[in-house]
Order: sequence, then structure tokens, then C-alpha cells
Amino acid sequence: MASRTMKSMNETVVRAAGLGITIVYAALIAWLFVRQPATFAEVTGGLSSAIGAYRVEQQAFEDGLRYFRNDQFSEARAAFERADPARRDALTQFYIGYAFYREGWGRFYSDDQLFRAGLETVNRAIALAPNGRLVVEEPGQEIRTADELKAELERGLKVEASDLDPTRVLRPRK
Amino acid sequence: MTAAREAIHLPVLLLTVTLLGGLRPGSAVVLAPPSLFALILAVLLVGVLVQSGAFVPLRVMNASRPALANVNGGVLVAALLVASAQMFSLLTPDAGLPRVLFSIYFLVLLINTMAASPDRVRVLRSLAVTFGAAFVLKFIVLDALSDPAGGRLTRLLQVLFEGVTLGAVTQDIQHPAAGYLAFVVIVMFLVAVALLPSAQRSASRAIIVREADVPEA
Repeated sequence: MASRTMKSMNETVVRAAGLGITIVYAALIAWLFVRQPATFAEVTGGLSSAIGAYRVEQQAFEDGLRYFRNDQFSEARAAFERADPARRDALTQFYIGYAFYREGWGRFYSDDQLFRAGLETVNRAIALAPNGRLVVEEPGQEIRTADELKAELERGLKVEASDLDPTRVLRPRK
Repeated sequence: MTAAREAIHLPVLLLTVTLLGGLRPGSAVVLAPPSLFALILAVLLVGVLVQSGAFVPLRVMNASRPALANVNGGVLVAALLVASAQMFSLLTPDAGLPRVLFSIYFLVLLINTMAASPDRVRVLRSLAVTFGAAFVLKFIVLDALSDPAGGRLTRLLQVLFEGVTLGAVTQDIQHPAAGYLAFVVIVMFLVAVALLPSAQRSASRAIIVREADVPEA
């Protein structure tokens, strides 16, 4: 009798554990299919950010900002990517997008490839920001919100009649 | 069937099939969910498995079982359905004429199997042959026909096929690991289907009891 009760209890424990394992595993798979992480760093970063444990590497972020202010945009992007390998930090993604904008901006024409990459990154930053609102209060910085950056990038990608305006060459880079 | 197999081993195995079946290795790893048509094929496949006795849902879900056991059974059925859909998605080419032909091939084959109503062993054999054939066609034949780095004969065949089919046969080049991954997934799925609670086991047990009951002459 006692052994039968023990067996029944064991079976209940196995079934409950199995249900728990299956639910967690299924949730993980569903998350992977929805998020589509491209690298292992994105998987681990996404999971740690889901429990609020994800942090950007501060030193790499500072390096990125320094490069960005010195107009070393490729170096800046490399440092920002190092700071946020999982692409989960809105501010870092904003600066990567900003670096794409500044490098791609030209007085006569803009580099569409860099602008497209910038737009993709700033869209990611907006998606990551709380309520999609991202404001960066940085003295001397012309573009201070992700929305402004997105609008600038979209404007650069559009072909319009105003592109032929000769005074366009006098416009400043933001 | 043990509780561990029903609640842990089979669902985990089938969910792993779902995960790995959707994995498309390449420069950027993509996880492809099953298509809508694959879901329909999966429902048909589960129907075939139930009809043949390869899977008896009543053994994992019935009124005499505790609620937790029935939930485990429900999870198993759901996992089987999703894994089946992912299998069809994995074995169907991504685009062009082969995609249409493979979809029709699977549909006709499943309907034909339902009409023939074979037993469990025949269904399992038929499933292995069907998936094996689709694997060879997609990951070996079509890949070879789509490979631009192939030899002269391959290039000649490519030109021939391109001309005849107006470019509808060739597929995107797959990562070298894709075929190996697909092979592992197929094997895992077939093992999982073979481990499902079937009608045959209970029937054979019943025969043994009857034989024991017969008095010696």
C-alpha cells in the first residue's frame, strides 16, 4: 500500500516536472521564432534582458562615444557593437544608427547603403525604448531623439524634386 | 508507456524537432516557422497515425486518468502536431516549381495512405521512405542542380533545366550543414513517432494474457 502511494507520488512529480520543462522549452522556442536572434550573443542577451539582467559594457560604450565625437564612425560602430553584442540597448543602438547617418551623409548625395543600415538600427532602437520614445540629452548634439534621426535617414533615402535644389549643398550635417 | 516518456522524453524530443527543423543555417541564422500548408499536412499525418494505430490518443487522454496526466497527453498531441508541421516545412523546397510539386506529393501520399488504412508497422515504414525520398530530392538532387560551383556536367544540366523550366527549378544555395541537420531531425522525428503510445502494444499484451489463460490439454 505504502509503496503504491509512493509510486503514485513519484509519477505525479515526474508528470509535473515534465509539464514544467515542456512549457519552459516551448516558451523558449516560441521566443526564438519571434525574436529571430542571429547570433548566440543575441540569444543570451535577449534571455538575460527578459529577466532584467542585461547590461552594456560601459568601457566599450565610452570608447564608442569618443570615436563618434572624433568622426571615426567605423571605429565607433565597432565599439558600440562590442558594448551591446545582443543589440538589446536602445541608447547604444541609437548611436550606431547615428554613426551610420553621419558617415553616410554627403553634401551632394547620401550613401543609401549606410542610410538603410542606419534606418534599420534606429528602428531597432525605437522598438527597444520604453513606449518607443528615446531622448538623448547630449550638449552639442543636433539630433536628440530617435524620431528625428529616423526622419533624417528616411529623408536621405527618398528621391524628391528638392534634391535638385542647388542651395541644398549648404545644408549642415546634423 | 512510462510517465517519464509521456511527460518528458517525447514532448522534449518533438519540441527539439520543431526547433531544429526550423533552423536554416547560413551567414545569418534564420528560424523558419511552418507554413500554413504544412500545418494541414501535419493534421493529415496525425490522422494517418491515429487511423493506423501508430498513435492512440485515448491512451494519453481519457476520463479515467488524473487531470495532470491528461494535460501531459494534450501537450504530447500538440507537440506531435507542431513537429509534424515542421517536418513537412523542412522537407519542402523554399520556392519555385519544386515547392508546388513537393506539396502535392505529400498531400496525395497522405490521402492515399489514409485510403489504404495500413497498420502501424507499414505506416512507420512508409513514413521513413517518404521522408527519406524527400530528403534525397531536396538536399542532394536539388542542391546539386542549384550549385553554381558544380562541374561541367552539372552546369550543363543547370542550363538545360533553367531553359526547360524557365528558371523555376533551381533553389537558393543551402549551407553545407543544412543537409546533415535535416537528416538528424528526420531520424529524431521517426524515433519519436515509433515511441508514441500505439495500439499494437496493448493488443499483443492482451494476446499474452489470453494464452496464459488457456488450460493445458
